[in-house]
Amino acid sequence: MYAVLALALVAGACAGGEEPGALAGIVREPYPDVSAVALPDATLGGESFTTTAREGGLLMVYFGYASCPDICPTTLADLRRAMQQIGEDAGRIDVVMVTVDPFRDTPEILASYIQAFFPHGHALVTDDQALLDQAAQAFGAAYEVRQTADGEIEVAHTALLSVVDSSGRILVQWPFGMSVEDMQSDIEFLFDRGV
Amino acid sequence: MRRVVALMAVMAISIAACGDDDGGNGLEIGDPWARTSAAVQNAGAAYMTISAGDTADTLIGVSVDSSVAGMAELHESTMGDDGMMAMSMVPSIPVPANGSVSLEPGGYHVMLMNLAGPLVAGEEFEITLQFENAGEMTVTVESREG
Repeated sequence: MYAVLALALVAGACAGGEEPGALAGIVREPYPDVSAVALPDATLGGESFTTTAREGGLLMVYFGYASCPDICPTTLADLRRAMQQIGEDAGRIDVVMVTVDPFRDTPEILASYIQAFFPHGHALVTDDQALLDQAAQAFGAAYEVRQTADGEIEVAHTALLSVVDSSGRILVQWPFGMSVEDMQSDIEFLFDRGV
Repeated sequence: MRRVVALMAVMAISIAACGDDDGGNGLEIGDPWARTSAAVQNAGAAYMTISAGDTADTLIGVSVDSSVAGMAELHESTMGDDGMMAMSMVPSIPVPANGSVSLEPGGYHVMLMNLAGPLVAGEEFEITLQFENAGEMTVTVESREG
């Protein structure tokens, strides 16, 4: 699966960016369908959250973990800034974080973590490994949690931010390092296009 | 973001060049900052640019007061061949002569573990860097939303 993803990333990198007015992120076609992904949402008391955007809106989905000091906060802070720059239309965007480290990230921890960035953010936490793997696979997100010899927990993950529409299609994905300006212009492009 | 980092690096180098104070160790630390942290977050990261004069040096350690975090370590985030981002401790970070190294999001950083409390925007704290040649340098780090 990693190899497939890597290929997709390379293909996306080559195809994207060249044409003016196109999306800066990675577009996979046909659009991956994540409308069947539903996980318990800690911000809704564990009620199931399906990864589709509101009608006319966009849903940003990020697979990460709360004790991630560098990569996750960088991406989330960049998204927050992009949304601040968009202004009013940012109200049509919902943000969801799925933890790949449910053993350390309790529902309370993840909810508080994502809502420190986005007051209305959703926190999806499941300790059902099969369910999490299924969700990750649908998003093309890979992760690995392992314990080192000295007991430290190391987490590796594809730091992709996925932009999903109301029918549950991933319209574009942003790899780590996507600039705030590129995020902003992709969101504006999608809203201009009528999402 | 990369452009901003590049600009900061240029600024840091310019400041270092203007300083030209050879009484010191030739090292200049540019724009030390840490990202604000959520209340539940147990780890944070600090960033900066380190420039050296005519003599290369190596950052070999970092420490922080326990009122800020239980421990500080030098870390590096890297992207593997499989496209996954991972983070690991590094024993040292080289600073080239007449050049600089950036500790920046997605690369080298100072990882602050077991934070004593959240890092709040506008607040400052100190960390002490240990260099192979220059010895210890204490720098003031400002917390920002980033």
